[in-house]
Amino acid sequence: MAAPPEPGEPEERKSLKLLGFLDVENTPCARHSILYGSLGSVVAGFGHFLFTSEIRRSCDVGVGGFILVTLGCWFHCRYNYAKQRIQERIAREEIKKKILYEGTHLDPERKHNGSSSN
Amino acid sequence: MAHAAQVGLQDATSPIMEELITFHDHALMIIFLICFLVLYALFLTLTTKLTNTNISDAQEMETVWTILPAIILVLIALPSLRILYMTDEVNNPSLTIKSIGHQWYWTYEYTDYGGLIFNSYMLPPLFLEPGDLRLLDVDNRVVLPIEAPIRMMITSQDVLHSWAVPTLGLKTDAIPGRLNQTTFTATRPGVYYGQCSEICGANHSFMPIVLELIPLKIFEMGPVFTL
Repeated sequence: MAAPPEPGEPEERKSLKLLGFLDVENTPCARHSILYGSLGSVVAGFGHFLFTSEIRRSCDVGVGGFILVTLGCWFHCRYNYAKQRIQERIAREEIKKKILYEGTHLDPERKHNGSSSN
Repeated sequence: MAHAAQVGLQDATSPIMEELITFHDHALMIIFLICFLVLYALFLTLTTKLTNTNISDAQEMETVWTILPAIILVLIALPSLRILYMTDEVNNPSLTIKSIGHQWYWTYEYTDYGGLIFNSYMLPPLFLEPGDLRLLDVDNRVVLPIEAPIRMMITSQDVLHSWAVPTLGLKTDAIPGRLNQTTFTATRPGVYYGQCSEICGANHSFMPIVLELIPLKIFEMGPVFTL
């Protein structure tokens, strides 16, 4: 949550807080994980019920499925998000270096071409 | 700065704060799942028809509810320790500023390039211009460059204070007779606010910190030294 957006800036999505504290809209990967978790919960719980016709146990399986699928999606998504952030940072640094050193002996492109011709 | 009724963290202005926000999101997701599980267990307890009060052995359950929390704690501790050690990394600061807490204002010393020293008092409400922030704006801001590692040496001249700027992920105690050090690298220009974070007397709430972060090129032209 931050100051109101400047003209031209993308609008911040309205926050939806699960249990009053987990901001699903503005936390990266949270909405994706909760949705997949809900789907996994319904599939696991309903599937268990179809095979056993036990309601309470199927609810337990559903809750367990929700927790496991949410956690699994969360870690997978956060890992990829972290990798993406690192790649973005490397790209930003390279662009900055390119702008700063273009045409000089420190030009990264010159160094790269020099090493590939060797 | 924070807006009215803001509960969450402010947007990050340094790489460390970005990492802290990431860790906060991670911990919050784990907390949410634990709360969900506890609420479900509570619901089951309230709706069960089982009324046997003589159950004595539950070895499997006890094993699970010992090992599972240990795993959860490890999942939280590993990223936490990673960030803890990241904050202590030595990164060759280009500039050192000394910040001295007083009752109830801050003194800043730029001693790397000459001996610039100035006080930073909160602007009283009567002196505010339209657009100024009540209880946050000061008469002299701390002007610093972005994208350059900066070292802050923090101490106090009288009682305990704490120099805090939430958007940079900084909070360091100002202790009389001790020099504490913190380093940071700001990633974007702007004006960032903080407030004293250790109770220090009647006007503890009225000694804010304001950083004005500007591009390095402009900082080198010397605007801060024309005070």
